Amino acid sequence: MHIPDGILPAPVCVAGYAIAGGVTWLALKRINQTVDPQAEVPKAALLAAAFFVGSSISLPVPPASVHLVLNGLLGALLGWYAWLAILIGLLLQAILLGHGGLTTLGVDAVMMGVPALIAARVFQLRHRLGKPLSPKRSLAVFSFLAGAIGVGLAALIFFTLIIFTLPSTLDRSAEQGFLTALMVAHIPLIFLEGVFTTLLCFFLLRIKPELLES
Amino acid sequence: MAIALHADVFIPGDSPLHRWAVRPKLLSLLTLMFAISLVRHLLLLPWVFGVVGGLYLASRLPLQYLLRRLPYPGVFIVAMVGLLPWVSGETVIWQWSFLALHLEGLQTATLIAGRFLAILITGFVLLGTTPFLDLLAALRSLGLSPLLTDMTLLTYRYLFNIAAQLATMRQAMRLRGHGLRRQTLQRQWGWLVALFGSLLLRSYERSQRVYQAMRLRGYGQQGQGLSPTPAAGSARAAPAPMTVLTLLSAFSFVIAEWIFLAS
Repeated sequence: MHIPDGILPAPVCVAGYAIAGGVTWLALKRINQTVDPQAEVPKAALLAAAFFVGSSISLPVPPASVHLVLNGLLGALLGWYAWLAILIGLLLQAILLGHGGLTTLGVDAVMMGVPALIAARVFQLRHRLGKPLSPKRSLAVFSFLAGAIGVGLAALIFFTLIIFTLPSTLDRSAEQGFLTALMVAHIPLIFLEGVFTTLLCFFLLRIKPELLES
Repeated sequence: MAIALHADVFIPGDSPLHRWAVRPKLLSLLTLMFAISLVRHLLLLPWVFGVVGGLYLASRLPLQYLLRRLPYPGVFIVAMVGLLPWVSGETVIWQWSFLALHLEGLQTATLIAGRFLAILITGFVLLGTTPFLDLLAALRSLGLSPLLTDMTLLTYRYLFNIAAQLATMRQAMRLRGHGLRRQTLQRQWGWLVALFGSLLLRSYERSQRVYQAMRLRGYGQQGQGLSPTPAAGSARAAPAPMTVLTLLSAFSFVIAEWIFLAS
């Protein structure tokens, strides 16, 4: 779900960089307010690398298989560092694989990173809103929401951008019908992403619960 | 895996592009990329490709470098614009049954694919002639946060190790029978959750050891961070004509586009 170079007009790319710059400033400000900001750097960097590599794992969903985005899970585990991890991951993807692009780096970062930050907030809400539920049930609900919201919002931003930058010669009704069909096709993926995030959070809860609490 | 295949991004050489100082090269080529993304008229594409082709020739990068790296991103752009000639436009130039090829859609698809290719080649010229550490050092000298550059350095440093670790874990899974017998979907998902979870855990545990080793070497004390040191002998001279020519080319795209819009 990356927008490659050449698709978007230059003003949109520049706006993407401006928003990404603002969010980066905010993320760094919040990170620098912690007691020892550098202590988390190796953890965030290595987990970012693991997410980058792990996103190549395809999940069997008969009759096909899907690659997960995992930005919601990244947000749940890394909080504000997730924004930096996504920015770096996208830069490395553009450099090493040619996937995404250098002019669209800002737009792609906003598309993947802002939902990750929202997913992080949603995951943290389990400490307040999840109190009436048992700890395990609360983890299940909020990890599912974090995973689903991460990819769901990213898909929404992606399709909104495509709709507003499509060529004017395109038949509007055909275009909207096609994009609506694509959005509907993403609903099962949003569900799968939520389920995978939940399963992974339970795996981490069993083996290394401190990763969920950081 | 694709990551392992494309590890050799930088190709050492002695071309004017290799000798170009990294900071002006980075800024000039990024300006050129943005100028290319401004192009909205097909007539400008030959000029764009002339400039980009000239840069590629001046970089003396082998053609194989481009051909090896192009197919993977190329698939994405074909998937994104492949439908346009069939669904966009009014002037039919070819028709068979319900399939109709439209002129306007074809023009739009060509323009998008052309811009994509030109920007991608410019990116390859930048990355193929500049070591990654030099790029990071240039970004830091341009004001990028040390925390961000430290994280980028560490991610890049361990990316290939973690990719190798994943390959080993997958091989171990296959040796234990994964993928050889028919398994329920639930069981397959269970394997993959454990695989990804284990990868995260191993990375996390390694990060703790890495952090302790970094602290012992003074990281974090009196603001000391990781400094991306430029590779020895890189960017020996700063050919000012390259900067001027690249910026003039970028400027010419903007002016030509403005003239087309005004006329």
